[in-house]
Amino acid sequence: MGHSDGEHVHEGDDLSADDSSWSDGVWSEDGDEESLSFEDSGEGSGSDGESDEAAAAEESDSSEDEVAPRNTVGDVPLEWYKDEEHIGYDIDGRKIKKRDREGRIEAYLRNADDAKNWRKIYDEYNDEEVQITKDEAKIISRLLKGKTPHTNVDPYPDYVDWFEYEDKGHPLSSAPEPKRRFVPSKWEQKKVVKLVRAIRNGWIKFDKPKEERNLYLLWGDEADTADNKRHGLSYIPPPKPKLPGHEESYNPSIEYIPTQEEIDSYQLMYEEDRPKFIPKRFESLRSVPAYEKALREGFDRCLDLYLCPRTRKKRINIDPESLKPKLPSKKDLRPYPKTCYLEFKGHTSPVKSISVEISGQWLASGSCDGTIRVWEVETGRCLKVWNVGGDVRHIAWNPSPDRPILAAVVGHDLLLINAEVGSEEMQMRVKDLLKIDEMAPQDDTDDKKPAVRWMKHEKLDGITLIHQKAVSNVEWHYKGDYFTTVVPTGDTRAVLLHQLTKKHSHHPFRKLPGLPVAATFHPSQKMFFVATKKFVQVYDLQKAQLVKKLESGLREISSISIHPGGDNVIVGSKDGKLCWFDTDLSTRPYKTLKIHSKDITRVTFHRKHPLFASASEDCTAYVCHGMVYSDLNQNPLIVPLEILRGHSSSDGRGVLDCKFHPKQPWLFTAGADSVIRLYCD
Amino acid sequence: MPKHYRPAGKKKEGNAAKYITRTKAVNYLQVSLAIFRKLCILKGVFPRQPKKKVEGNHKTYYHTKDIAFLAHDPLIEKFREIKVHRRKVKKAVAKKNRDLADRLLNRPPTYKLDRLVLERYPTFVDALRDLDDCLTMVHLFAALPAVDGERVEVKRIHNCRRLSHEWQAYISRTHSLRKTFISVKGIYFQAEVQGQKITWLTPHALQQVLTDDVDFNVMLSFLEFYETLLGFVNFKLYHSINVNYPPILDPRLEALAAELYALCRYMSAGSRRMIGNSQSDEVMEDKDEKSKADGITEEEKDVKNKASSKADESELRLAQLQHQLPTNEPGALMNLVEESTADDADDDDTKECKGLFKNLKFYLSREVPRESLLFIIPAFGGTVSWEGEGAPFKEVDEDITHQIVDRPTQSHVFLSREYVQPQWVFDCVNARIILPTEGYLVGRVPPPHLSPFVDNDAEGYIPEYAETIKRLQAAARNEVLPLPGIGDEDLDNSLVAAMMDRTESNEAAEKKRKLEMLEKQYHDELKMEIDGVAFSSLSNKEANKSPDAKDDTQSDHEADAIKQEEKDDDDIGTALMSRKQQGLYKAMKMGKEKKKEKIELLKKRKKNADSSASSKKRH
Repeated sequence: MGHSDGEHVHEGDDLSADDSSWSDGVWSEDGDEESLSFEDSGEGSGSDGESDEAAAAEESDSSEDEVAPRNTVGDVPLEWYKDEEHIGYDIDGRKIKKRDREGRIEAYLRNADDAKNWRKIYDEYNDEEVQITKDEAKIISRLLKGKTPHTNVDPYPDYVDWFEYEDKGHPLSSAPEPKRRFVPSKWEQKKVVKLVRAIRNGWIKFDKPKEERNLYLLWGDEADTADNKRHGLSYIPPPKPKLPGHEESYNPSIEYIPTQEEIDSYQLMYEEDRPKFIPKRFESLRSVPAYEKALREGFDRCLDLYLCPRTRKKRINIDPESLKPKLPSKKDLRPYPKTCYLEFKGHTSPVKSISVEISGQWLASGSCDGTIRVWEVETGRCLKVWNVGGDVRHIAWNPSPDRPILAAVVGHDLLLINAEVGSEEMQMRVKDLLKIDEMAPQDDTDDKKPAVRWMKHEKLDGITLIHQKAVSNVEWHYKGDYFTTVVPTGDTRAVLLHQLTKKHSHHPFRKLPGLPVAATFHPSQKMFFVATKKFVQVYDLQKAQLVKKLESGLREISSISIHPGGDNVIVGSKDGKLCWFDTDLSTRPYKTLKIHSKDITRVTFHRKHPLFASASEDCTAYVCHGMVYSDLNQNPLIVPLEILRGHSSSDGRGVLDCKFHPKQPWLFTAGADSVIRLYCD
Repeated sequence: MPKHYRPAGKKKEGNAAKYITRTKAVNYLQVSLAIFRKLCILKGVFPRQPKKKVEGNHKTYYHTKDIAFLAHDPLIEKFREIKVHRRKVKKAVAKKNRDLADRLLNRPPTYKLDRLVLERYPTFVDALRDLDDCLTMVHLFAALPAVDGERVEVKRIHNCRRLSHEWQAYISRTHSLRKTFISVKGIYFQAEVQGQKITWLTPHALQQVLTDDVDFNVMLSFLEFYETLLGFVNFKLYHSINVNYPPILDPRLEALAAELYALCRYMSAGSRRMIGNSQSDEVMEDKDEKSKADGITEEEKDVKNKASSKADESELRLAQLQHQLPTNEPGALMNLVEESTADDADDDDTKECKGLFKNLKFYLSREVPRESLLFIIPAFGGTVSWEGEGAPFKEVDEDITHQIVDRPTQSHVFLSREYVQPQWVFDCVNARIILPTEGYLVGRVPPPHLSPFVDNDAEGYIPEYAETIKRLQAAARNEVLPLPGIGDEDLDNSLVAAMMDRTESNEAAEKKRKLEMLEKQYHDELKMEIDGVAFSSLSNKEANKSPDAKDDTQSDHEADAIKQEEKDDDDIGTALMSRKQQGLYKAMKMGKEKKKEKIELLKKRKKNADSSASSKKRH
């Protein structure tokens, strides 16, 4: 019904358009009554106004009194009953018939007659006409104006202050005034006394302490030095902050500014490595912003000053080259091998081992392709090839000049063959030596199996020494009768001694500190060296006891070589280090050279010249000068001389063996690239 | 048995007795960690590095003597008193005893640090040596916002401002500033006082933000000591040039935030007063000459008469007024007096610095950072004014030779002066010559600003502009000396012209030298090639068999071989070194390598930039 006001406003228009069809539905009453408009409804039936009015008089707010609607269909759209005769059902379930529609003219006439018609409302739902009372109409009109429904309610009454402010002049209690109201307070007095005493004694002062600027000439004349010394510990002044470089400028040269890619690449760095300051360029001074980290950097400096331990550090500003030890000139240490002179080609697989005959005329080599070859050193001609049918791991010439016998580790076992060099007579003798009777094995009577069985090798006319486990190394005694083999996994039978003439083997070393790697004889005395993974044991063969134990400090020894003098030992290791032991000096290395980046495969001394060499998996061989003096007071002189390159890597392996020529300062190296090279002076 | 077992009853000795961990030290001193920190900061006690860390590697160790030193300091007692006082106040407030609380708050226990300053720096030179951090810190705090309710008291910020200005005024007055550098972080200054090089950093004159990632307690403890130290240092320095120390400033200038200028005037006035005593008649003559200029002459004379008496503020004002004279008239009184007294005492460096901007008049535009330039220009003998109230002379002054502007364009231009960007002043100061202003004119991108703290030769890389400056310097040295008699006006132009001439000739010489260098290099390379061939013939014969087949590859091989040879030599040399020496050697090599790489990178970038610039030019 919100349009009532609008209606009121438009009243004039409506009146002017006098002939409007429904202007009859609009009444305007005099005075306080406002106009109301209702839906144009059909003609009301002749319901009596008197009884309606009586009902309105009895009307109350209670909802119980409300008359229930006649129709019981509920809140359904009335369209559903549009075509029906009835409009619903009453409480007893009877149909409520629609009344007949009145004609418009009749309705108009009735309206014109009835003065109360404006209060009549057609109730579509119940299909009846309701007449509202005048009071109700008033209430409705008031509600429409936004006033209270009842006229006698005042929404803004004057405030009534119920509190009484004035005293009535009578005490609440009639008790007499207590004495304490008239006696001075004891506690107050005590407090006063306290304050007085405090003031008298000067504990409380009333004059404010004077603000004086207490700056004065703190440092007088600098003349007397006794006073001017700092007491206590020695003072370490804080290091001055680093001075800014070109890159910190607000407008640095163009080359100090990193490119965008470089800045991006900083993100990939570790946080510690990342540059803390990225140079930036500003076109003019006015565009430079405040440095946001100023406070932070000041704070960091403070922290450095009071939290960092200060120490005096000596900074050496020297040429790094001056750190290198003064070495004698290489020219004075000549001759030594330095250039490749010959290549022995013929093997098809890595050459595992080489050995030079004592006279220096022949070179024997063993390779993974299952052949043993004998070469003439000076020409590089391959003299002989034996196909032994298995990897040749190690090979050694008999050092005796009249016994050209080769000992080779083939597969599991050791093979002794006639090298077939030298004179007829010599060869005959060797053949005799290598003849073995198929004697009844007396060893079988023992309950233990023998460590080694000497068997005749039919094909090559030699001797096989059948070991129980794989042999890794063979080494001859300098006289050429005894030799030793090493079986790393052999447990108590790991190091074996064999006698060629008697065809006899035994294993004197029952207990070793770790797996044996190599074993060798002393070049002149009856001593024996066994290298285990970490130690070198020196035995006296005659007394059958341990003489010395050399501690290498290396991770894994790979090879050992004894100086011809016998007192110095070099040891190569799998971590690329070479240790020189002076057995007279100490059981610890006299010098450790870290020269190779990969495993050392072989170290070797020269028999005559003061030279030693090491071969390594990194495809290089080092030649060093190693001078041992007869004067016991003088330590050996070690000078690295030359790095020999030339071998190429195959399968990650480099130089597998190196041997010196017995007389000349020449070095043979055997590589994994199946080439043997001879380096000469 | 533990590693450091000590039988019962046996005394501690060695490192265990000498050093004490921080926790133990705090317990021993019976103070809180915060107070311990403050004590350490004020007393300058720092942790030490024992040879053997008995109690563990991750702990901080102090020397036992240091801790005993702290324990015997009266300051520790004072800190306890302060703690007690704070508790008393708290208690009084909690009990609603306002009287007591007020009374207590009125008289907090205070302490002075002068004794500590003397203890830490027994001689003045010691104090100057450690002044870097102090100055940087004070200048930093001077730039912080002086706002109530922030974490830093306004009073202290003002104090820092005052101290920093006093210091700058002294440096400027004695012309001991040596180097300046505008970095991204702020402006670096280096001064030389009593033979000590003192470097400090002032932040850019922009609003600093107080961040949360710093502990202000620590910084304020440091600042407390630094304020005291700088106060005493300033006192001593002012005393050494016969100026009363707590300077009384013109409140008008102070209000205009031109404190530095006010201070400078105060100082020159003060020292002149002293000089006045000795040479009053001479000065009087000068005065008479000037008397026609203003009506101040009478007052001046008054000042002279009162010169011996103690300076009060009104007199000071007069002195300042009187000081305005020389700035209005070139060929000034101030300069005369200064030269007559101070010249013989100065060393060459100071003389050079003092004369750099002599006879030049600068005017700072509104947008230019005023404080740093007001500090630098007088320090090098120039006179300077700025746009704003209290300035000694106005923009329309005809004698202004340089106006410093920092804006894209300058609308109104006086033809009599040059309009340059602020960087020109800084570069001139670093180069110690008046640089040509072409590159620095308004609206241009100035040439790169280079750090004066870098020794280019030692670094191994010389930026292009550094070489240009070097050439200009050489030119100036040769040409300026025989030109003493030329008038002020002509001097600049002729100087610049001469410089340009000189530059050209220098460039020609350079070119020639370069040609020679190239030739020499060519010869060297030839020789190298020959050597290389010889080498290769020795090492591998196959290479020699087909020398003409693959020329390039062969030369590559040769280079490789030569490199290999060098490396082999290196390896052989290092093989015999001890492990420690090897480490050292490797580290040094690595350092050198790094440095070389850096230089290479710079060169590469330079080349790229040049090539891109030239290609742009072509398009």
